[in-house]
Amino acid sequence: MHILGVTLPDNQLVKRALTNFYGIGTKTASRLCARVQIHDTARIRHLNQGQITALTAFLSSPANSPPVQVQPLAPPNFVPPPLAQPLPQVQQAQQPPPVDRLREIKIETDLRRQMRENIAHQRMIGSYVGRRHAMHLPVRGQNTQSNARTARKLNRIERYN
Amino acid sequence: MSLVAAARTCRAVHSTATPLAAAGAHVQTRGYATPAKPAKKTASKFKSNKKSKEDKKRAPRDAGLFRPMSVNNLTHPVFQSEQRMQLQLPLFRPEAITPTAATQALAFPQDESKALKAYGLPTNILVDYLLLSKPCSVVREATVTVLDQLDQAAGSSSKDTRVVFTGKPGCGKSYLLLQAVQYAIQKQWISLYIPRAINLVNSSTAYAYDPRTQTYGQPAFAQQLLKRFVDVNEALVRPLTVQESYPFDERSIGSGAPFLDLISVGLEYQHQAPTVLSALLDELAKQTQYPVLLAIDDFQALYCTSAYRDPFFKTIKAYHLTLPRMLLEFASGKRAFARGAVFGALSSQNTVYRPPLELIEALGLEPDRPSNPYVRREAELIEYAQGLKNFPVPERLTVDEAASIFDVWHQVKALHIPRGDEMFLAKYTEAGGNAREFVKKGLLQTIAM
Repeated sequence: MHILGVTLPDNQLVKRALTNFYGIGTKTASRLCARVQIHDTARIRHLNQGQITALTAFLSSPANSPPVQVQPLAPPNFVPPPLAQPLPQVQQAQQPPPVDRLREIKIETDLRRQMRENIAHQRMIGSYVGRRHAMHLPVRGQNTQSNARTARKLNRIERYN
Repeated sequence: MSLVAAARTCRAVHSTATPLAAAGAHVQTRGYATPAKPAKKTASKFKSNKKSKEDKKRAPRDAGLFRPMSVNNLTHPVFQSEQRMQLQLPLFRPEAITPTAATQALAFPQDESKALKAYGLPTNILVDYLLLSKPCSVVREATVTVLDQLDQAAGSSSKDTRVVFTGKPGCGKSYLLLQAVQYAIQKQWISLYIPRAINLVNSSTAYAYDPRTQTYGQPAFAQQLLKRFVDVNEALVRPLTVQESYPFDERSIGSGAPFLDLISVGLEYQHQAPTVLSALLDELAKQTQYPVLLAIDDFQALYCTSAYRDPFFKTIKAYHLTLPRMLLEFASGKRAFARGAVFGALSSQNTVYRPPLELIEALGLEPDRPSNPYVRREAELIEYAQGLKNFPVPERLTVDEAASIFDVWHQVKALHIPRGDEMFLAKYTEAGGNAREFVKKGLLQTIAM
């Protein structure tokens, strides 16, 4: 299955398959599954259309996704209303809902752009970090007399394209 | 001599060295003037050393261990019948279970009740039945006691008979519960058996929030459970009618409609299955025509925190899931069948879902963790565990019961040990009378390849 240009193999566990997105690791993937109510052993081929739509809608822009409704849990000795009766209106919870950290994440192009902008900003203000990126050298105080191979290979101003 | 001539003589020397004179080897002695006769083409007798070395080093390709012997070689009595013999055991029937019949092995009837296949089995029992040719079990004194209790409970509310089987790992709690279920089915009880309640809480099935009950339902599990219920209890449930009306969105079930209509809504529309199951249990609780047995293996899992998470990633307790909450309400007596009983069996197989302190104290077991007044106990769990009666399953098989088990495994020709007292008593003593250790570590370990 394809979501937003990323291939998710059908037989993979959903919480593992979501890590195929740039910017989503195991923790974020688990939280995303919980948000959309996908169980731990679900595979991509088990997802129904509603869940796929919810995932796609969230991943296309996490910041603009609708906030999660608080789902009140049954107190002890709770008797559910009969079927014929319409559902009672959900009262606003006395406590504010927990902070929804998932709306702050960035993935794919947004994340790469953010990282590029950070490096470009460092260069623009003339900082040490910016200079080291420009010189393709380690940024965080590592040794350069030996062992700077990765930095020489990958550190660029335009690193995260 | 020229190189060619030298080569030829070398070849000739080699060929004379071999005993295969008939291959056409010939010694070429050449005078100075005689013309060279063209060498006859002979088959090359060149044999590399590597081949012979390899042959010497390698053991025979197949020692004959896994090749089937021809039937004529199978003269030992063990091989007399090619196929495994069918277990010849008396059937597990209510009439056959008397105190005198205790310590006998009885086979569960497979033709009439589909219970074993429909409801499934706990994993450890399933593994046993894969090895034995027939599902069977040994009737113990504990079995007779439990079935007597079941008979007495047939007339009274299930609130009075809420029993939990406890005991050491491997003492036979799951088997006892299975025997109780089989007995109930044969005695024309309506049964609902959940062999692996852990699957309700380990996040292995889909879940969805239901705003009406304010709990998380498991539609796929509920639908499957309804299907199994119908498979086993259809004949009994067919004449029963519903006492209340259930106006579902898709189809309305009016009061007086048959039970099977209500169940068919759950079978057809998966998202309604948890509601239908709850309604079904309510209706079964009201009817008085048949007693109802609710049997749950892995009972302690209903009291644990589930592996599910809410949208804010907080853990969900088992009593906030629709199906476990329903089972807990019947187990605690908040809802009760007009006629029937609730049986549960603890299991120690899964160490993630262990019985919590509240359940241990309600059953009067010895706590294996701090239980002083400063330890936090959940009020909800205490409520859901009140009134449960502990039935301690004897941790040791008696010698006669163990002998019946020994006989059964021998009849199936699964063992390679002699059918004698010495071996039997040795294995029994090693296991200390524990049923699982006797079978798994005593008897089956003797089948060593």
